[in-house]
Amino acid sequence: MNRTMIKMVAGGAAAAILALATPETASAQSIVDKVRQRGYVSCGASQGVPGLSRPDEKGVWLGFDSDVCRAVAVAMFGDKDKARFVPLNAAQRLPAVQTGEIDVLSRTTTWTFSRDMAVRFVTTTLYDSDAVMVRKSLNVKSPKDLGGITVCLQGGGSLTEQALDGAEEEHKIKIKRVYFDSTIQARDAYFAERCDSYVTDGLAAAGQRASAAKNPDEHEIVYVGHKIEPNAVSVPRGDDKWFDIVRYSINVLVWAEEHGVTKANVDERLANGPKDVKRVLGAEPGWGKIIGLDDKWAYNIIKQLGSYRDIYEVNLGDKSPLKAARKHNSLARDGGLFSAIPMN
Amino acid sequence: MLNNARHRAVAFQALLIAAVVGAAYILVTATAANLKARGIPLGFDFLFRPSNFTISETLLPFSPRDPNWWAIVVGIVNTLFVSAVVIMLSSAMGLLVGIGRLSGNPLLSGATRVWVEVARNTPVIILLIFIYSMWWKILPPFRDAANPLPGVYISLRGLVMPKVSVDLSLAAWLMPLAALVITVAAHGLATRYQNKTGNRPPYALFTALVSFVIMVTMAIASGLSPEIEWAVRGRANFEGGFQLTPELTTILVGLSIYTTGFIAEIVRGGILAVGKGQWEAGRAIGLTEAKILRLVIVPQTLRVILPPLTSQYVNVVKNSTLAIAVGYQDFMTIVGTIINKTSHAIEGIAIILGVFLFLNLLLSGVLNVVNRRMAIVER
Repeated sequence: MNRTMIKMVAGGAAAAILALATPETASAQSIVDKVRQRGYVSCGASQGVPGLSRPDEKGVWLGFDSDVCRAVAVAMFGDKDKARFVPLNAAQRLPAVQTGEIDVLSRTTTWTFSRDMAVRFVTTTLYDSDAVMVRKSLNVKSPKDLGGITVCLQGGGSLTEQALDGAEEEHKIKIKRVYFDSTIQARDAYFAERCDSYVTDGLAAAGQRASAAKNPDEHEIVYVGHKIEPNAVSVPRGDDKWFDIVRYSINVLVWAEEHGVTKANVDERLANGPKDVKRVLGAEPGWGKIIGLDDKWAYNIIKQLGSYRDIYEVNLGDKSPLKAARKHNSLARDGGLFSAIPMN
Repeated sequence: MLNNARHRAVAFQALLIAAVVGAAYILVTATAANLKARGIPLGFDFLFRPSNFTISETLLPFSPRDPNWWAIVVGIVNTLFVSAVVIMLSSAMGLLVGIGRLSGNPLLSGATRVWVEVARNTPVIILLIFIYSMWWKILPPFRDAANPLPGVYISLRGLVMPKVSVDLSLAAWLMPLAALVITVAAHGLATRYQNKTGNRPPYALFTALVSFVIMVTMAIASGLSPEIEWAVRGRANFEGGFQLTPELTTILVGLSIYTTGFIAEIVRGGILAVGKGQWEAGRAIGLTEAKILRLVIVPQTLRVILPPLTSQYVNVVKNSTLAIAVGYQDFMTIVGTIINKTSHAIEGIAIILGVFLFLNLLLSGVLNVVNRRMAIVER
């Protein structure tokens, strides 16, 4: 073997390495195929917010946001238990979507322009505003009264921090902050009286008060900021097939409420409902093929989880400890902000 | 050709270099392609945009209008501060605990042994969270703040004391300089006296006294008087004064307890590594036990313990990233926030890696220089 041969061997080896490890682009395989192969949907969840997403004693994730992600699992597999939840803090959630570590992020995340450039928001699931929980003894009636108090909150650049900045600027007050890694630690520090106040989204605050406070009557929830913010579900960018499935799995929930289809009456509607309703519920063969699912995908979602109203009532509404009024989260015809994309 | 050992060696080197370069090329291009496919932008211009977030505790001034790079600097200073205090505290305590482990007194050696075992066998994050949640049980809430001395309050808001500050004028800078000159002069005189007579005068105490008197005189002469700022009890908080929060206290105390456990064992090993003969030789030339320890044993111990000590100090810098678990924002947390707000994860992580690499290489570089100067000069 001479020098040229050695060179050839070396060159060949380098070429082989290059050929073997050609970068695999994201468009090569849709998340739909990946999820189907894997057998479950990987959902980004919170670190434990009662009413939205929190595991119970047996490790089953309960809450509105969890059920929204389950809708996608039902559409894919016809089984609401084919969803697995990954708890993420405020700083972890978006990178987890960007890198494709999770398939769907369904966890109190406000839809903003800059975030939508990093991930792809699909649809709004809840409208909420930022709120502070304070002890009633402190007599805080409006954001103006927050001057000179200490607030415990989750750091990592969530929008709730900006609500405090806004209140400081508007009312010329100073608020002391203690940042934590997780919202749960911030909440516990508040309940231990390290802070006078705990800041999070309004519904999350209501959930923590109802389920985690020793005496819920001691605490009051005061809304800060003037905005109603859309909390939305997001997926990785650049995958239209997956985007479709997530968007319409969630849309079906609102559609069902608009058309009076509920968990309880879905079988009856499938048998005796108007033609349009029966079609969406899978009475016509070929309905599922349009979106690449089986014909009964919408029926399955409603059968296993219910309509938007069903999910809201169980997790946040009157059938839950939170008893949060629906306000903006009701249908447009009831004075809220939701209306379904027509399923025609 | 292939039978020639030298040619074979060259060929293998070339293959290795090709493989490394090839792998690096693949890694970089694949990363760039995947980032592009996922729409993740690359670049460092985000460093110059306003940070738009707040940091709860900082040594340097910071506001949300400051750019991201300044937030990173503020974070690095927070991390350096925690590391420096922990290194000093745990070195001092480690020395004492390490000597205590060797004590003939069973109570002392037992107690220090418990410390070492607890510190070494507990995950440091658990220790930190344990200490932090302990405050919640021990300390009173703000409205029942303990007031042991006038102006001093202890509560869940932390330790609040009057702040004593001295105006740093020219005289203030001259004072330590004067003290230094006096010390050097006294040291020189003492050495000359010792060379002449064989006795070393106890100059240390004398120097300290003279320096102190000169400093006080200068301070009074230049009209310097300390300013005292008292903390005021507000509706829900203390305003002004010096405030030590439970978060900062926890990370300082927790990391110090943990690191002390390791340093104590290093110190103990170092003392045991010096042969018994050294003690006996010292006694033979008539030195007292204290002098043997100071002049014979400790210099040789330092030589043994410095390399393992270096790695403990490097560990302190790395462990300081756990501060956010107890609500203290360090460099790592601040960059994490920036990543979350700007979505520049790769650049952010690169900055974290670069800064920690630089800090730790610098720290071990300095200690290596000290180590080389202390090593035995073989003749």
